[in-house]
Amino acid sequence: MNDFTSLNRRELLARSGCGFGLLSLAGMLAADETEHGSNPYAIRPPHHEPRAKRVIFLYMPGGPSHVDLLDPKPRLATDNGKPLPFEKPKLQRTTTGNLLASPWRFTRHGESGIEVSELLPGLASCIDDVCVIRSMVADNINHTGAALQMCTGEQAFSRPSMGSWLTYGLGTENQNLPGFVVVSPAAVFQGAQLWASSFLPSAFQGTLVRDPNNPIANLGDPASSLDHQRSKLDALRRLNEIHQHERAANSQLDARIASFELAFRMQRESPEAFDISRESETTQKLYGTDNPETELFGKQCLMARRLLERGVRFVQLFDAPANNAWDQHSGLRENLPKRCRAVDQPITALLTDLKMRGLLDDTLILWGGEFGRTPTAEGNNGREHHPFGFSMWMAGGGIRGGMVHGATDEFGWHSVHNKVHVHDLHATILHQMGLDHERLTYRFGGRDYRLTDVHGNVVKEIIM
Amino acid sequence: MNLKTSAWLVAMLFISDGVHDVYADESGPAGVEFFEKQIRPILVEHCRSCHGEKKQEGGLRLTAHEEILKGGDTGPAIVPGEPDDSLLIRAVGYLDEPKMPPKQKLPDADIEKLRQWVAMGAPWPESEAPSASDREKKSKGFAVTAEQQSWWAWQPVRDSTPPIARNIEWPQNKIDNFILAELESRGLRSAGPAERAVWLRRATFDLTGLPPTPEQLDAFIADVSDVAHDRVVDRLLESPAYGQRWARHWLDVVRYADYHDGDPKARNPVCEPLEAWRYRDWVVESLNRDLPFDQFITHQIAGDLLSSPDGTEPYADGLIATTFLVNGAWDRGDADKEKLVSDMVDDQIDTVGKAFLGLTLGCARCHDHKFDPISHEDYYALAGIFYSTRMLQELGTKGGEITLQRRPLVPNDVVERRNQQVMQIETLNLQMAELDKLSPKPADDDPRRKEIIERRDQLQKSLPPEIPMALAVSEGGVPGGLFPGIQDVPIHVRGSYARLETVVSRRMPAFFQGEDTGSIAGGSGRRELAAWVTSQQNPLTSRVIVNRVWQWHFGAGLVTTPDNFGLLSEPPSHPALLDWLTVRFVEDGWSLKKLHRRIMLSAAYRQSSVVKREQFDRDPENRWLGRFSSRRLEAEAVRDAILSVSGQLDTALGGPAQADVAITRRSLYVQTARWDRSNFATLFDAANPDSSVEARTVSTVAPQALFLLNSGFLLDQAKHLADRLVHDVPTDSPKAETARIQRAYRLLFCRLPSDEELDLTREVISHGNSSGTNAGWVDLAHVLLCSNEFVYPD
Repeated sequence: MNDFTSLNRRELLARSGCGFGLLSLAGMLAADETEHGSNPYAIRPPHHEPRAKRVIFLYMPGGPSHVDLLDPKPRLATDNGKPLPFEKPKLQRTTTGNLLASPWRFTRHGESGIEVSELLPGLASCIDDVCVIRSMVADNINHTGAALQMCTGEQAFSRPSMGSWLTYGLGTENQNLPGFVVVSPAAVFQGAQLWASSFLPSAFQGTLVRDPNNPIANLGDPASSLDHQRSKLDALRRLNEIHQHERAANSQLDARIASFELAFRMQRESPEAFDISRESETTQKLYGTDNPETELFGKQCLMARRLLERGVRFVQLFDAPANNAWDQHSGLRENLPKRCRAVDQPITALLTDLKMRGLLDDTLILWGGEFGRTPTAEGNNGREHHPFGFSMWMAGGGIRGGMVHGATDEFGWHSVHNKVHVHDLHATILHQMGLDHERLTYRFGGRDYRLTDVHGNVVKEIIM
Repeated sequence: MNLKTSAWLVAMLFISDGVHDVYADESGPAGVEFFEKQIRPILVEHCRSCHGEKKQEGGLRLTAHEEILKGGDTGPAIVPGEPDDSLLIRAVGYLDEPKMPPKQKLPDADIEKLRQWVAMGAPWPESEAPSASDREKKSKGFAVTAEQQSWWAWQPVRDSTPPIARNIEWPQNKIDNFILAELESRGLRSAGPAERAVWLRRATFDLTGLPPTPEQLDAFIADVSDVAHDRVVDRLLESPAYGQRWARHWLDVVRYADYHDGDPKARNPVCEPLEAWRYRDWVVESLNRDLPFDQFITHQIAGDLLSSPDGTEPYADGLIATTFLVNGAWDRGDADKEKLVSDMVDDQIDTVGKAFLGLTLGCARCHDHKFDPISHEDYYALAGIFYSTRMLQELGTKGGEITLQRRPLVPNDVVERRNQQVMQIETLNLQMAELDKLSPKPADDDPRRKEIIERRDQLQKSLPPEIPMALAVSEGGVPGGLFPGIQDVPIHVRGSYARLETVVSRRMPAFFQGEDTGSIAGGSGRRELAAWVTSQQNPLTSRVIVNRVWQWHFGAGLVTTPDNFGLLSEPPSHPALLDWLTVRFVEDGWSLKKLHRRIMLSAAYRQSSVVKREQFDRDPENRWLGRFSSRRLEAEAVRDAILSVSGQLDTALGGPAQADVAITRRSLYVQTARWDRSNFATLFDAANPDSSVEARTVSTVAPQALFLLNSGFLLDQAKHLADRLVHDVPTDSPKAETARIQRAYRLLFCRLPSDEELDLTREVISHGNSSGTNAGWVDLAHVLLCSNEFVYPD
C-alpha cells in the first residue's frame, strides 16, 4: 500500500521520474525532516527561481466568446452574414451558419493601446498589467473533454489537475489552510475531475467550496465549545501516546496525532481566512459585494484574495451561478453582457487590490474558459464551441503586462500566429512557479506522468 | 537500457537551463532528441503534405536525411552547419522565392528551431531507413530483446519444494518455509506471534472489514484446540460480510463507480450507469460462493456469450458481469464520436491488461510499448476485439449524450408480453379519454366504461414486473461508429482514428499468445480472449491475482506493482513463494477462499506488528516479512467499524447505492460518483474510480480529523455508542463505570484497558459537557472512536 505519511519520502523518491527530480527530492527530504517527517503539504523547493508563488485561475465555464471580448475582428463586421470563405474543420459540434459581427465595440486602452470590448470596461482600465493571449488552441469541442484538458491536460482520462500538480510539487505555505481551494457555487460539467488529484495522493486534490457562506466542511461542532473540545483532544492525545509508546517505529501514528492538532488549529484559524465580512466596507464595495449582479463573483474574488494572501498555493474560481454560464449558443446579446457585468468589476477589484498590496508581482492570474466561440452564428443570436483559436489572459507573476501574444486569422477562426496550446499554457504556469514541466513527474501504472504529457513549450515571449 | 541512452540520461541530469548546454553533443542522442521533439513535428505538420511520401513538389522529399541533403530541383535543401546558406531556412524565413509554406509563414519560434537544427549539423536518427514505407519500418522496428525474452514474469510458473529452514518450530505451513529461509539468509528474525486477540482482530477486519464482537473474542480465547485459528478463518469466509469486504478490493481494480453525477436529481438516465450496482452485487455474490477465479474473469470478459449453468435464457449473471467492460469514465460522451469509441476501446484494453494480466497494454496505443514486448500492432489486434463489441445502444447525435446499452435479464417473451400489455393499457386509457370527451359524458356505470376498466384491471394484474436490466455488451460493434459490426481494424497512427494504416487481424499479443491459443473463430473474439487470459499456460493471470490477494492481506504485494509485472516493475521479493502459491491456487481450482485460508493460517500472517526500533530499521519497508505491517483501515472499514461498534450497522446485502453517508448500511452501498470527490470515502483515500487502482494511498490530513471531530455522522455514532455502553452495563455504581469502560475497550480494541487508561478515561467521563444525557459517555465514545488504536489494528 502506498503510504503518504511516513514513507512518503521513499514513495515519492520512487515515483518522481527517473532521476530528473533529484534536486527537488533532495529538497523534499530536507522539508520533510523539518516538518514532522510526514506532511504532504510541507514546502518543497522549486526547480528554479520562481517568478510567482501562487496562482489564481478565474475560470469561465462554457467558453467565453473571444471575438466579442478580447480579439476584435473588423472582417466580421464587413463580412457579416457572409459564409466563412474557407472550409471549416472536420471536427464540428453542430454546423454553424454565416459570419456574425460582434454586436459590441472595441476600443484601445492604456499605454499599450490594446483593444478590449466595451463589455469589459474594468479589465480595459487595467490592460497595461495584462497579457492577452489571442492564439490559444485546444483539442476538444465538448465542454467535458475541453474543460478536462484545460484543468488537467488530458481530454478523456483521469489525470491530476494543475492545482494538484502544483501542491504536489511545491507544498503550500500555510499549514492551517488547504493548499488548493476551488470555489464553484454550482456544479459544473465533469465536476470534481477538474480539481482531482487522480493518481496523486488525495491530499493534493482541490478542496471544494460550494457555498461561500459555509466554506469548509466539518469546521465546528456547534454544540461543543473549543475549550471542551480541547480537553477531549488532550485526552485523545494522551491515549494515543500510551498506544504509541510500544509502537514508536510507526511514524504514521505520530502523523495522525499531529493531524488532530492541525485540525484544531484550522478550526480556529480558517474561518477567519474565509470570512470576507472582516474586510472594510470600502474593500467589499470595490469587489461589488453590495450589488446583486456582482455579489456572488465579488465574494469569490474577495475570498480568493484573502486565501492567496494567507499562503494558499492555488485558487480556482468558477463563475458558476449555474452550470455553463458562459455557453451562449443562443441569447448572446443578452447573456454575454450579463456575465461580463457579473465578473468585470470583481476581477478589476482583484487586480487592483493585489497590486495595491504588492501581491500582484508574485501572484499569477489566469482568466479563460475551456474554449472560445465560433465567429459564425448559431441561430441568429448565438455562437458554437470553438477550440481552434481563442483568447485567454494572464497577469502578474512575472508575466509581461500590456502585451498581446499571438493572433487568430482575420475572422478569428484559426490560431495562426504564435499558437499557444493548452499544454504550452500549463508549461508556462509551472515555469513561472519555478517548476520544469518535464521534470515534475509521478510514476503511476508503469510510467512517469506529467501535467503536459509529452508536450508543452514554455511561452518565453510573455515572460518578463 | 543501452549504453547510449543511459549516457544521454546522465548528460540530462547535469544540464542547466538553456538549449546550448542540452545539445552540446549535437550529433549524438541529444541532437536526435532535439530533432524528434522540435523538428520532426514541424516537418510533419507544415511540410509533409507537399514534400512527403505521396507528393514531392519541386522534386523535394523531406522524409529522410538523405532526401533532404539531396534536395529537390533547385539543389540541396540544407547545408548542415550553415543555416544561412540553406535553401530550407531561406524559404521558411520568406527571404527568397519560393516562400514556404506558401499559405502562411511559420511561427518565428519554429523558424528559429529549424535554423538551430541546421546549425547543429541537422541531426537525424540513424536507424531510419531512407525510403522504406512507414509500415515496413514499423514491423521491422519491433523486436523482442533478450532482456524482455528472459523477464521473470513471462516465464512459466514453476513449482518448487519449499526450502528447509533452520527454525523448525516456527512454520505453521509451507509458506513459512519460504519466508523463514529469506529471513535467515539475511540474518533477520521474526517478531514472533501476535497475541491471539490481536490476530483475531486483524483477521476479522481483513476478511470482513468489521471488528470482532466481544463474544467472538471470548469464544476464540476459550477454544484451546489446534484448529482454533482454522475455525475462525472458516467462519469468517462463510460470512456474507466477506464478499462485501473483498468485492471492494476488486472494485478498485476495475475502476467501478455507481454513478457519474453525485446528485441523484441531476442524473441523465441514458448515460448514467444506473444499473452498475447489479455488477457490484454479482461480485459480492461470486466471492461469497467462491466462484473459481478463472470463471470470474471469463464472465467479465465474455459473460454474454456463456450459457447459463441451469439452461435458462438469458443468463443473467453472464450479462451482468460484462458491466465490467462498460462502466468506464465516459460521462456523457464526447462530440467527437469516433474518438469516444476509440477511448472506450482503449479503456477496455487498459483495464483488461492491468486488472487480469498485470500488463500495461494501453501503453501501446500510440507506439510500440517502450519497455515490454507489446507492439503497436498487438494493440490493434486486441482493439479489433473490442471494436467488434457493442457497448453502447446509441452513439447519440453530435454533441449529444451517449446511450449505454442495457439488456433485459428475463426471457424475451416476458419482455414482449410486458411491452404488449403496457401498450394495451395505454390504448384502453386513450379509449377512456375519448369517452370523457363525448357529450353528454357517459355515466360512471356506462357499460362501455365498465368494460374498459375491467379489461384494464385484468391487464394490470397480470402485468409482469418492471423488466430488470443490466449494463451489458453484445457482439457487433457500435452502430454509427467507425467500425460497426465484427471486423479487424487498422493501426491508428499515434493512436488517432483519423490516421489509419494497415488492418491487423484480431489476435492475442504475439509474444504472449502461446502455442495453444486458437485463432478467432467467429464473433468478436472475446470468447478466445477470455480463454487465453485464463489459460493454465498463461503465466500472468494466476500470478497476478495471487499477488493481489497477498497484497490485500499483508499491505504490500510480493510484487509491489500488482497492475504492472512488466520490465518497469520490481521483481518479486519471494519469487519461489509466488510461484508455489500460484501452482497451489490453480490446483485448488482457482479458489480464492482456499488461498485466503493458506495465507492466513501461516505463521507469517500471525506475527506481531510491534517491534523494537532497531529491528524495524533493519527492514523498514518490511520487504522480508519479519513482522506484520500495521496499516490504517480503509475508508469503508473505518466507517463500517464505527457503525458496528455503535450497534447501528445494517449488514443487508445488495441494491442500488445511496448518496447519504449517514445511512447505516455498509459503506459498499454508499455511492461512488465520478464527479463528486467531496465525500467521506475520498477523504479517507478511497480509490479514484476513473481508472484501475492497484493500491490505495494512505494520506493523513487534517480534514480527516475535522470529519472525525465534527461531522454529524460521528457525533451521532458517538451518542449511539454511549447509549449502548449505558444499556449494556446499566447500574450506576463505581464498578459499573469500570465495567462500561471495559466494555468499550472490548468492543473497540478487543482488549481490556490498563490502569492508566482507566484513570484517563474516567477523567474524560467526569469532564463531560453536562448539557446532554450520558454526556461524559458520549465524550468518551467520541474520543475512543477518534483514537489511533481504533483505525490501526496491530
